[in-house]
Amino acid sequence: MNSILSVLARRLATTTLVLFGVSVLIFLIARIIPGDPARIALGPRATPEQVERMRETLHLNEPLVTQYFYFLSDLLRGDLGISLYTNRPVMTDIAQFLPATLELVLLAGIFMVAIGLPLGALAARHRGGWPDNIIRVLTLMTVSAPSFVWAVILVLLFSYYLPLFPIAGRIHETIMIPPVTGFMLIDTILAGSWDGFWSALHHLILPAFALSLSGIGQAARLTRSNMVEVYDQPYIEMAQSYGFPEDRIARKYAFKPSLIPSLTIIGLDFAALLGNAFLVETIFAWPGISRYGVGVILQKDLNAIVGTVMIISATFLIANIIVDLLVAYINPRIRYAERSK
Amino acid sequence: MSADLALSIRNLALSFKSWSGTSQVLHGIDLEIKRGERVALVGESGSGKSVTARIILGTLHELKSARISGEVWVAGREMSSLSQSERQALRGTDISMIFQDPTTALNPVYTIRQQFHEVLMRGDPKISLSTAEQRSADILREVSITDTERVLESYPFQLSGGMNQRVMIGMALINEPQLLLADEPGTALDVTVQAQTLRLMRDLVRQHGTSVLFISHNLGVVREFADRIYVIYKGRIVETGPAASIFDDPRHAYTKALLAAIPRLTGGGIPEIQEDSEAFFDPMVTHEDVSA
Repeated sequence: MNSILSVLARRLATTTLVLFGVSVLIFLIARIIPGDPARIALGPRATPEQVERMRETLHLNEPLVTQYFYFLSDLLRGDLGISLYTNRPVMTDIAQFLPATLELVLLAGIFMVAIGLPLGALAARHRGGWPDNIIRVLTLMTVSAPSFVWAVILVLLFSYYLPLFPIAGRIHETIMIPPVTGFMLIDTILAGSWDGFWSALHHLILPAFALSLSGIGQAARLTRSNMVEVYDQPYIEMAQSYGFPEDRIARKYAFKPSLIPSLTIIGLDFAALLGNAFLVETIFAWPGISRYGVGVILQKDLNAIVGTVMIISATFLIANIIVDLLVAYINPRIRYAERSK
Repeated sequence: MSADLALSIRNLALSFKSWSGTSQVLHGIDLEIKRGERVALVGESGSGKSVTARIILGTLHELKSARISGEVWVAGREMSSLSQSERQALRGTDISMIFQDPTTALNPVYTIRQQFHEVLMRGDPKISLSTAEQRSADILREVSITDTERVLESYPFQLSGGMNQRVMIGMALINEPQLLLADEPGTALDVTVQAQTLRLMRDLVRQHGTSVLFISHNLGVVREFADRIYVIYKGRIVETGPAASIFDDPRHAYTKALLAAIPRLTGGGIPEIQEDSEAFFDPMVTHEDVSA
């Protein structure tokens, strides 16, 4: 267990460095984008004096390094400035929009792992047989089309022709839930509204599934190919020579070692869901951070762009830390390498 | 099959069917191992010795492209007449197998303790953790491992090749199988470690009264280990007899070539090895067993 903690400590340290690098990068990009932020903020009718005063308050006349330290100290206090798009602190916007996306992405990630891994393992267990062929064709289909195509198809099939799921939104419009955490599933429980909880879950399933479909295919194909490779290893023949049942060999002997190479990539795919979420959020009118992010980019809302990118990178890095911990948990070599350091 | 035989193979033939046609791998071989006897099957790569082991184990029967005919009697049962699950039931209990490279044959993500426990559950599905622990430690001491606690909690990558080899020998013997198949054991290890573990294995199977089919391409390795030898060439047994008489008086052209292929310390460099010759297809030579 100690070794897992030391993996965690090491990754947290490197993550802090990466976040620092990201902050420098985003800060510079925001300054390099053509156009005077002060003028953009004040609009075309501002007088030169007003613009100059704005430049003073935004520290735009100071050297870049000084500007960066103002930016960094604001950031550390959790102040990301005011969004020009919504006229509210960027932090407030993020606090409002991020939970919706996280809810979506987390459920999509659960679908990816809970459906993708077993499908891949099933295909590998029956490699060359008909379950394998069916799964390979299906997963090839899901990875061949981007998630927004699936979103449209799923909406048409399961909301329009077969009205099983709601077309848009996070919860039925007649249910009012006071926002506490921003996570609808948690807030409905906090409000003691089971109807609300089921309605929120009902609204969440279709967009999360659409978002996860290509990830499910990816995870299944990856698991299959890694596991088929493991099946060629001598330790599988040894397990067979001891007469262990094939299902047990698949579950215990072939699946677990095959996870080691799969997990890292599945972790990256999971993090990529954040980026893919934009079109799915648009199609399902989902008030999430991806939709907000694209909105502020189109408006050249610098503070909001910087804030959104920072938050999305942080989420990405956290997903990677979790994957690293899982890999260390499964792979004894990493745990012991860590212990001897 | 008489009761004093641990293994009896009668006219075993094997061919593989593929798109391009059928290829004959075994051309009707006969082989017997008495209880407690150590027998070696020696031949070059592709001679059919490893597939023979897989047929005895019953794993090759699962392959759709394999056509198997003839009889293989193990533990009083004929393998082809058994169902898949009956064959599976024999594995790990009545028959077990030792593999070429011990480090890759043990599962990389489980400890030696967990792997022993799995194997012991083949003999007794309800075995308690403490009994399993006790028996694993006992068998490890039998293969001359003294720090059993450390080895049991190790993963294969933390142990040396020789250590893993001993673990694998212990695992193969822990359920007291009647028949042990050893497919080129220790070929992946260096020569001194291989010699050590083979000596250990010989003493152990002698104590346990286990019958062994030892498969090797190296007559030199077999010499110390086996009571009787079968020499196999391209799917046919070409010469068989007690180990001493094969070594002292090889009569088949192929056996002579195989013996000449063992490099010697006394010099001469790399030995001259004959090309395939017509004489290799001469009829089988059987040495009379003087003790019988």
